[in-house]
Order: sequence, then C-alpha cells, then structure tokens
Amino acid sequence: MALGLDLDYLERSARGEFDLGWLRNGHSEWGVHAKPSKTGLTMRDIAIGSYGEVPDHAPRRTMAPRGSDVDPDVPDLGYTINDKAEVWSDNLLDLYEEAVSRQWSATRDIPWGDLPELDPDIEHAMCQLATVLSEVEMVAADFPAKWLWRINHDFVEAKMFLCTQVMDEARHTEVFRKRALANGGGLGRSSAVVERFLQLILDAESYDEGSALMHLLGEGIVLSLFRAGEFLSPSPVEKKIFRLCMQDEARHVAYGTMHLRYRLDRDPSIAEDFHAYLDKGEEIIAMIFATPEIVEPTAILAAGGVEQASELGTAAGEVMRHQIIGEYLKRCQHAGLDRRGRLHLPEVLIQGVPGAMPEAMA
Amino acid sequence: MAPIASPFHSARWFAELVARASADQSAMERLGIAEIRLGLEIVDANGPPHMYGIVLDGYDIESLGEVMEKEFAPEVVVSGPADAWQEMISSIEANGSADAAHTLNSLTITGLPFSVRAGDAMGHDKFFRYMGTLQAIFDAAGTPATVSTGR
Ligand SMILES: [Fe+2]
Ligand SMILES: [Fe+2]
Repeated sequence: MALGLDLDYLERSARGEFDLGWLRNGHSEWGVHAKPSKTGLTMRDIAIGSYGEVPDHAPRRTMAPRGSDVDPDVPDLGYTINDKAEVWSDNLLDLYEEAVSRQWSATRDIPWGDLPELDPDIEHAMCQLATVLSEVEMVAADFPAKWLWRINHDFVEAKMFLCTQVMDEARHTEVFRKRALANGGGLGRSSAVVERFLQLILDAESYDEGSALMHLLGEGIVLSLFRAGEFLSPSPVEKKIFRLCMQDEARHVAYGTMHLRYRLDRDPSIAEDFHAYLDKGEEIIAMIFATPEIVEPTAILAAGGVEQASELGTAAGEVMRHQIIGEYLKRCQHAGLDRRGRLHLPEVLIQGVPGAMPEAMA
Repeated sequence: MAPIASPFHSARWFAELVARASADQSAMERLGIAEIRLGLEIVDANGPPHMYGIVLDGYDIESLGEVMEKEFAPEVVVSGPADAWQEMISSIEANGSADAAHTLNSLTITGLPFSVRAGDAMGHDKFFRYMGTLQAIFDAAGTPATVSTGR
C-alpha cells in the first residue's frame, strides 16, 4: 500500500492486542495544568512547558502542535515561512483573544431599520464610499489567506490571528455592501487606481512586503478613514458601522506595527527593504488621494452636500489627510522604521504634516 | 435615571461611574476584552489640570481616582476643558447615552475640544480599539441599570 497500511496491526488490534506506544513511551508533559486567568483559559495561559516555547526557526514542516511527540517519518508539508520573526509580534496572543471576544454582527448589531431617507447627492456619496470600502476590505482577507498555508504551524498563533482578520474583513466587506444596497443608492464606481493598490498587496513577493503595504500602510489609512466616519456619517447608522469597523481595524494595525517592530528588532539590516516596499506603496496611495471616486464623496459627506463641498469639504479633507499621514508616520516610527522626511508622497499632500517634509530630517 | 450624585469632577464621581458600568457584567463581556490605562484630563479655567485614571483589564474596569500622570503612566490621555467635559456628561444624562455630537470619538476627532495624546502610536491606537467599551463606560452616567453594549 502506498500509504503503508499496517495490516498486521489491523488484525492485532481487532483481537484486542493494542500497541500502546503512544501511551507508554510518550514524552508529553503529563501533569501540565494551564490555569485559567480572569477572562477564561487564554492562549497566553496555555503557553507553558514545551508547548509554550516558540522556536526562532521551526525544526520541522508539519502540522504537529509544538510540545507533541512527532513520528520520525512525518511528511514535509512544504511551508515557506519557517522563521518566527517573519510573522510574529509580541502582542499576537492577546490580539487573538481580543479579536475573538470583540466580534460583532453586521446583520444584528447595525440598526438598519433606522436609515433615514437622504438627499440624493448624500446618498450617492455614501454609497460611492461604501463601494470603495467594500472593494478594498476583502484584500485584507485575501492577502492573509494567500499566505496562511505557507506559515509553519510552530507559529500557529500568528495563523490564528490572521484567521480572525479574515473573519473581520469578511464582515467589513459585508457591512459596506449592505449599506450600499440598503437605502436606495446602490453600488457606485470601482476605479483602476484602487485595484492597482490591491494588486500590489496581493502580488507581493513576500509576506514582509505585503504585510508592510497592507497592515501598516493600507489599513492605517482605512483606520483613520473609519475614525473620520464620525463626521462623514449622514446618520447614526453609518456612525455605528464606522465605529465598529474602526475597533477591528485598530487590531489589524496593532499587529502590523508590532510585527514590523519584532522583525526589525531581530534583523535591522532589512530596514531598507521595508523602505523600498513603502516607497512603492506610497506612490500609489498618492494616486488614491487624487482619485475623484474617493476624494469627492468624502468631501461631500464631510461638508453635507455638493455645493458646500468645495469649501468645507476641502478643509475637512485636509484635516483627514494630516491625520492619516501623521498617524502613519508615528506607527512607522514605533515599528522602528523612520519614514520622516522620506515619504514618497508629493509635497502638496504632506505640507503642514509634522515630520513629513524632507527638511524634517535635517 | 438619576445623575451620579457626586459632583463632576471628583474621584467619587468616577468611582460611581465605573461602579455603574461594572454592574452589568454581561454587557462588558459582550463588548469584549480590553486592556488599557486611560488618563482623563480635565483642564479647569483656573488652576492646574486634574487627571483621573481608569484601567481596563479584561472585562474589569477600575477607577484609580485622581492620579499623577507620571506615576499612573497612562497609555493614552484624553484631555479637554472642564466645560466641554461637563457638556458631554450633561448630554449623556439628558439622553441616556451620548448623542452624536457628544461621543468620545466626535469630541476628539479634530483635536478640539478634546485632544488625545499618547507616548507612542500603539497607545494612541488603543483609544480606537476600545472605543465601544470606553463609550459604554461614559454612557453609564446616563443608564445605571443597563450599560449600552455599543452594538
Ligand atoms: Fe477592514
Ligand atoms: Fe483590516
């Protein structure tokens, strides 16, 4: 038999003659007692004994849990991410628990019945923004999903956190699609430049590159946008959507920031690689800042109408842009990657943002 | 519902707020785990600012009363003039929970009247990560029996 079916064992076990090797010859930590903490038995609580030791380099490429006895002839499952620093972050275990406990439902938790009838321009603007958001959210599920199976199971906590992100992004895609279809406006326009940024993330040649582009740059911008939902929302319904999404997004950005920090702490020599990834990403982001399908609905929503948008909306846009770029710079800095003075964004976008202009490095 | 009896701002007021929010444990559990050391700074027109400390640990909320910023070491501080804080509390008391113009997010979004400061980006982002929980705590000033789940 190709798989090595042990017919002798089948016959012996049918007679009640057990092997019991797993029972008698195991090296497992018999007697291990993980103690639940205040919120229950957490991933951090069970990170004890040999299971709790996460190797810097995975010794095998199998799905066997750390701390288990592993057959010597297990197959090689071909994982390509076998170094802890490629995916780890110090807040990973807590972020996983937090993600599981802070889930919400786009069906149940949004008061869809309270959506008011809106001025047609406002409804259009809200639906255009919802279209763009519904479009971009799913890349943050596709990207982790693309890399999940390549990550060694010794770093299962990273895989588990990314699974929560996949679920979060499914819900974000869902909630904005529902908003576009719930109040008369329908889906708006998808633009090529947005798709190009998504392509950059999906086609990233390494997890490093894609994670920097997505967790740090892309999701950082989306987090700031969700926060600004407070003054973009035409009704309390959208405010609730943005606020709930914002909490999830901040977790994803917390992982991205702390992961990059962990990565650079262990190998500062790769900082220039990350600068190069972000140079490329920022160039496309600059184009997004010049995309009517994004800039205009945002300005119209902030100002409360098309006519008011040219004045009020531009001012609100500037506040948002400053916030987005300022927060991004701070996250990069916290991760150990100083982008001050070397942003690949045109001067018109970074003027007035502390630390953004090249002379900031002088 | 009756407003918190102690005067705002005072250590007793924050202690009572936290007691009201903690009373509905299942609401806190539905909102989910939160871990943050939050400083609430109230700047009086005259005199030095006062900071009150709140610590969220899992589902538990603890009010530390008035604190010294350096010793408390908050991860994030929300700071604003006393009259803006008072206006927010009055809105919550009048409506049962913050109206759209008086949520923590709306009051901090432009940096006025409340500013958000943090030692690093992670602390700053925690304010957004736990916004629903933080809002529910303040909304407890309006609804002592049932804390809004923020959902
Ligand atoms: Fe998202
Ligand atoms: Fe995300």
